[in-house]
Amino acid sequence: MDCFISTYLHSEIMMSKITKIWIVLLILTLFAYLFGEQEFVNKSLIILLLVTTFIKGQFVIDYFMNLSEVQLKYRIIPTLWLVTIIIIIGFIYYYPV
Amino acid sequence: MNKIKKLYPPGDFGVWIIIYIELITFGLFFIGYAISRRADIELFNSSQLMLDQRFGFVNTLLLITSSFFVVKSVQIIKQTSIDINIQKASYYILGAISLGVCFLFIKIIEFSDKFEQGINLSTNTFFMFYFILTVFHFMHVLLGIIILYNLYKNTKNGLYSYDNCQGLETGASYWHMVDLLWIVLFPLIYIVR
Repeated sequence: MDCFISTYLHSEIMMSKITKIWIVLLILTLFAYLFGEQEFVNKSLIILLLVTTFIKGQFVIDYFMNLSEVQLKYRIIPTLWLVTIIIIIGFIYYYPV
Repeated sequence: MNKIKKLYPPGDFGVWIIIYIELITFGLFFIGYAISRRADIELFNSSQLMLDQRFGFVNTLLLITSSFFVVKSVQIIKQTSIDINIQKASYYILGAISLGVCFLFIKIIEFSDKFEQGINLSTNTFFMFYFILTVFHFMHVLLGIIILYNLYKNTKNGLYSYDNCQGLETGASYWHMVDLLWIVLFPLIYIVR
């Protein structure tokens, strides 16, 4: 019974947190869209776009996939993937041939 | 509140092997795109401006919301086994499926638009990557919808409960991976130039 109540309370907290994260994800997506609407994109703002992409991805990894509650070795794989991809994209963008 | 980290990720461990392999596969494509862009920036920038960013924007909102609905359904099932909540959870999955179908519908409109303009896989390097990445992702969304439909049926039939929802979490994890891939794909293909 205690286990059930604990699970219930934890789920209640997570529910409201998940809703907030969903709203943040929508706002960051809107930001990316408005950013892309400009014909000439300011180079310095690209880094901001990549950071927001990382935040969005990490939110999905931590709270949608629920890996924030799992041992680090499982969470670190998608996080490293995300960081690597974003750094490579950023590097190639700033250092063209 | 239980602060001890769980030993394994949610769902069957097998799905996580698939998720990690899929991330690496898509990651290699993303890097390939970025390297090719580096060699011909003008071509990539001018081709990218031919895309309608509204499609990408709406599709991102659809997938994020769909993923959110799946999280809600898992949370509801974990919360209680009361019939009315099980019904609610199944409606959330149905909502997620509907948004996934909308995503595919918009993607088909976008592809048709490009084909009407005479743009295809062999038009240039940008569009080669555009079609490979988006069609590959499209197939994953399609498979995800089939998985979600099975989860919907099982949830409706009361097969999942707060102490037995591994199957639901397995399908949910796959769907979140599809969302995660699109979150990187959207700025890469539609925005960054």
